[in-house]
Amino acid sequence: MTDVTLSPGKAVAAVKRPTGASIGPRWSNALFVAPYLVFYVVLLVYPLFKGIWMSMLESDMFDNTSKFAGLANYHRLFNDKIFIGTVWNTVWFVVMTVPVFVAIGLLLALALNSSDRTAAALRAIFFGTSVLSVTIVTIIWKMMYMPGNGAIASIFKLFGLQPVAFITSSSLALVAIAICTIWWIIGLPMMLFLAALQQIPGELYEAAALDNASRWRSFWSITLPSIKRTLLVVVIYEIVAQFQLFGQAQLLTQGGPNNASRPIVQFIYEQGFRSWNLGYAAAASEILFLIMAVAALAQFFVSRKRVEE
Amino acid sequence: MRKLTTALLAGLVVTAGASAALAADKTEISAARFFGACEADYGTVTDVTKANGECGIITALINKFNADSKTTVVKPEIVEWPGYDQLTARIRSGEPPTISVMHEAVISDYSSRGLLEPLDEDFAKAGVDVNDMTDAARQGVTKDGKIYAMPFDTHTWLWHINMNLFKQAGLVDSAGKPILPKSTDELMKQAQQFKDKTGKPYFISTLANETAFYTRTFDTLLYQQNADFFADPNKVNFSSPEAKNAAQLLADIFAKDYTTKNQDYAASVSSFAAGDGGVFICGTWLIDTYDQEAKKEGAALSKGYAATAFPQIYPGSPRVWADGHSWVLLKQDLSEAQRASAIEFMKFLWDNNYEWSRTGHLPVRKSIIDSDAFKNLPHRGDIASLAVNGTALPSAVKRQFSIQEIEGEEVGSAMRGDKPVDQALTDAETRVNELLANAK
Repeated sequence: MTDVTLSPGKAVAAVKRPTGASIGPRWSNALFVAPYLVFYVVLLVYPLFKGIWMSMLESDMFDNTSKFAGLANYHRLFNDKIFIGTVWNTVWFVVMTVPVFVAIGLLLALALNSSDRTAAALRAIFFGTSVLSVTIVTIIWKMMYMPGNGAIASIFKLFGLQPVAFITSSSLALVAIAICTIWWIIGLPMMLFLAALQQIPGELYEAAALDNASRWRSFWSITLPSIKRTLLVVVIYEIVAQFQLFGQAQLLTQGGPNNASRPIVQFIYEQGFRSWNLGYAAAASEILFLIMAVAALAQFFVSRKRVEE
Repeated sequence: MRKLTTALLAGLVVTAGASAALAADKTEISAARFFGACEADYGTVTDVTKANGECGIITALINKFNADSKTTVVKPEIVEWPGYDQLTARIRSGEPPTISVMHEAVISDYSSRGLLEPLDEDFAKAGVDVNDMTDAARQGVTKDGKIYAMPFDTHTWLWHINMNLFKQAGLVDSAGKPILPKSTDELMKQAQQFKDKTGKPYFISTLANETAFYTRTFDTLLYQQNADFFADPNKVNFSSPEAKNAAQLLADIFAKDYTTKNQDYAASVSSFAAGDGGVFICGTWLIDTYDQEAKKEGAALSKGYAATAFPQIYPGSPRVWADGHSWVLLKQDLSEAQRASAIEFMKFLWDNNYEWSRTGHLPVRKSIIDSDAFKNLPHRGDIASLAVNGTALPSAVKRQFSIQEIEGEEVGSAMRGDKPVDQALTDAETRVNELLANAK
């Protein structure tokens, strides 16, 4: 710190200089955030409130005379066995996939966190599936799951076993979709974990090595605390993403058999575009929004508490 | 050499320019259709007689129209079957195709909301003789007294039979005809006999990823028992003993392994061609495909394919599920030229309805049904009764495709043993009635 001696006149001038608080906010600065705000309001806030309003209407896709129905659509939803089934299916799907995304994503990142060529090639391969469209992914997995000549059936037959009917069994259909989904987008959590791992200073591991710390000890005491925030991001991102399951279920099983793999988004799609019942579809969308918000917030608060501890 | 190259290049430029100018003079209309994509095989075929199968024939028909028409170019837009979700979204966003294929069961949902153009006057001007339409076709496209579509075919549910396996199972009579069941007991007995003799299931069925098999077979079994399950078009009745009989029969066939399991549509179509079972219950549209297969030496169906109407296994009636494909003109801001082009294309399809009937579908023109050319097509004598016995749901029933989806899901659950039969029928009835109660 350097001591500066000011002449009395200059000191007075410095004290009197106006501050931001005294002249008020500069509204022209809002221009910098205006484009984002406009899109945010038009594409997110407005549809959100429009959706809430629609969920309280008895509204047909091509009928311009919607009628206010209050909470009737919600009442109908809570008595709809198919919808209740889709809620359980979706929650079960999230429970099946999110921990696997975190565990396998982290394992792959740890295994491929190296600068050699093999690791780079493997990183590209594992991430490669993420760029495929859902249509391609489901075609590939249909060929895998086909009970007659599918790849998995062929392996079963090779060992003299009866092929398993993955996508036509009510107990396995959702598991089959989960496996397909994990294969498809495991690359993203892996990449996020890799980015976090590469931010950890190497000196920490060197110090741990000097202290004779085991690999497990280093992972538990250095790696995991250092990537806690990324872990939280991955968990919340995957919860939000997997609650929106649609394409894989629609193309692999069409929600069947016996409603065993129909997710909430497919229900919304069918009610909106097939039955033309927009109010009912909007009500189901609001329920999905609430479930996602609650799940993500719960995860956020639990994780933040742990980080603070 | 250099001069020759220059001349050739100049010629190419002039030709390309002339073609572009000619195409630019024509009015372009879009035609949304399913039936699959087969540009690799039929992309340039304009001789329709050389095309086979639904996809081949419709592709060649459009190619021929585009080659012959002096005023119109039809741009096909191929959609995944049945394509109504996409069509609905396009209408809602204000960008519908000019014309579209539509099942007759669906027309009333769209026409009642003013989304389709009535076509009576256009047909009269274009010289389409609506009195030549078969009764089934005319009823299918007429809603509230107006014609809303150009009928294209009537299609029904029938049995495709592998005669080579039927011979092996001892199920062919002295005249070389398949021995078919006349009751449910006979059906189960013959299915067991077939399984014992061939080691293969009697039926090949599309039980995965779509509900059409369940709905269409179930409806047929209800019709055969004279069950009037839509006596009230706003309320379905699946609580009848007839419905229980039909669902239980399907469940028994599944439980006793008399059918292939877990096959989707593509797998079951190729499975029948590969000789994996005796009977494939599917639609009229596969007759031509399998007939071509039967002409191949060494194929599983070689000289051993038959098609027959769904055998009557209940004493009530020989009626069978039926529907029809048709072409509709979507309501939108069309110019006079676009509308004229759309009608010109529909008239072309009307004139060439015989070619489409080669797929196996029944034609929509009385004059073609009565013609020798049609009667001489393979297997048409064996399925002639379908023209009379094909039965659609009453036209007053709304949301027929959604209803069929629900019905198929629940009957499928019963057949596969995912739910008790009674529970599945109750759920089907509740869900359909809930849908109808909320349908405008």
